[in-house]
Amino acid sequence: MAASTRPQVISLYRMMLKESSKFPSYNYRTYALRRVRDAFRANRKVEDPKVVEKLLVEGGQMLALIQRQVSIGKMYEAQRMVVE
Amino acid sequence: MAARVLQQCVRSLARPSLGLCPVNLALRAAVAPAVTVHRPFSFAADSRRTRWLGQSRISSVEVWCRQYGDLPPLTLETIKDRVMYVLKLYDKINPEKIQATSHFMKDLGLDSLDQVEIIMAMEDEFGFEIPDAEAEKLMTPEEIVQYIADKKDVYE
Repeated sequence: MAASTRPQVISLYRMMLKESSKFPSYNYRTYALRRVRDAFRANRKVEDPKVVEKLLVEGGQMLALIQRQVSIGKMYEAQRMVVE
Repeated sequence: MAARVLQQCVRSLARPSLGLCPVNLALRAAVAPAVTVHRPFSFAADSRRTRWLGQSRISSVEVWCRQYGDLPPLTLETIKDRVMYVLKLYDKINPEKIQATSHFMKDLGLDSLDQVEIIMAMEDEFGFEIPDAEAEKLMTPEEIVQYIADKKDVYE
């Protein structure tokens, strides 16, 4: 990973984890957290700056998607599950 | 709770044996005097234990009453304990290997993503945000403790 994109990736990771943990539904929340962690781990060996750039853009879109889904989820909040 | 249960057990054990005592003494005095010498000792131990349990229960109730509605004050010691507790619960850290001075990446073999997750766990534990620029500098449990103590105005 190029040194210049490193802080960007770290902050994207933080933002995505933070947004994912806001899901009101237990299932979506745990899935989103797991998915974000796995995706970042799967791509952690990527060195090519172009690929990193592409992944960053993709991550930004996913972040927006998570935020949208969280606010939609909050409109239709259900009862908490027993596992919580 | 456990103390109370134990106390009741000890009491219920002590009471029937008190009732049985004269009979036992009479019987055993006839058979073997050495055993009767042993009996009073065990009674003394029993009563001492019940007394001790009673005291401990009272003091725990006092502490309990005093603290309701408020958290115990933060000290460097409690911050350190809580930080180490959170770190030991993190699944990629070996609880036996971790020291206050061990470096997350060099000593514990974590990567920068794990470090981000640790910092987020600390935010959850202590209930305040740690900005990105400072989060990336926190690399050992000691530094985290120091940072939190500075933020919460804890100096002793």
